[in-house]
Amino acid sequence: MAIVVKLDDLLHAKRMTLTDLSERIGITLANLSILKTGKAKAMRFSTLEAICTELECQPGDLLAFETDR
Amino acid sequence: MPTTNPTLFRATHGLLWLMLTLVVAAALIVAGVAIALVVAWPDVMAEIRTMPEFVDVATIRFPLGILMLLLIAVLGVAAYILRQLQALVTSASRDPFIVDNAARLRRIGWSLVTIQVLALPVHWTAANIARAGSEFSQMGGLSIGSLLSILLAFVLAAVFEQGAAMRGELEGTV
Repeated sequence: MAIVVKLDDLLHAKRMTLTDLSERIGITLANLSILKTGKAKAMRFSTLEAICTELECQPGDLLAFETDR
Repeated sequence: MPTTNPTLFRATHGLLWLMLTLVVAAALIVAGVAIALVVAWPDVMAEIRTMPEFVDVATIRFPLGILMLLLIAVLGVAAYILRQLQALVTSASRDPFIVDNAARLRRIGWSLVTIQVLALPVHWTAANIARAGSEFSQMGGLSIGSLLSILLAFVLAAVFEQGAAMRGELEGTV
């Protein structure tokens, strides 16, 4: 997959669990888990905004593009 | 995803079952008449002589038989449409925008086309054996309502197909 979600790294840096984040931003644990494991097909701006607000990061910190080489 | 209240769904289901029962009953009556034409023609002819709407009682056995067969076919297709509608209503109580429902609506559209095609020989046959102006002679034929229903079924099928595609895109969106 070309787009990589670095949610795990950000959570680790903030010493936060996925459950904590889920409770704070009001997105289900199941959906955050889909996002974290790279199974999500798309992401809403509202989700991105909520995560960036809570983890005090930029979208570029959460998402990265990797070429398949 | 429930889209409307359960009472409405139950009422729709009940209505569809009622209509299906009526269609089956009508098909059985028509089949009974068709069998009577074969096995008890003298009695049927005596009965038909008392009806003023028929032109020539002596020659109507064959066209009347054809008419009964056509009507059985129409009722069979109507029953098929009602079964498709039952499946559609059942799925609508969960998630209506699925590819299966688009296919069901398209099948309903083609079934309506079939009924309309069958209605033409029905009208032609009825008009030939009954007196002009009688209710019997006006049976079948083209109807604006039926043509609009066909159009509506195909348009709805396209809408459901698009809806199912959009639902597919939404899946996996966080």
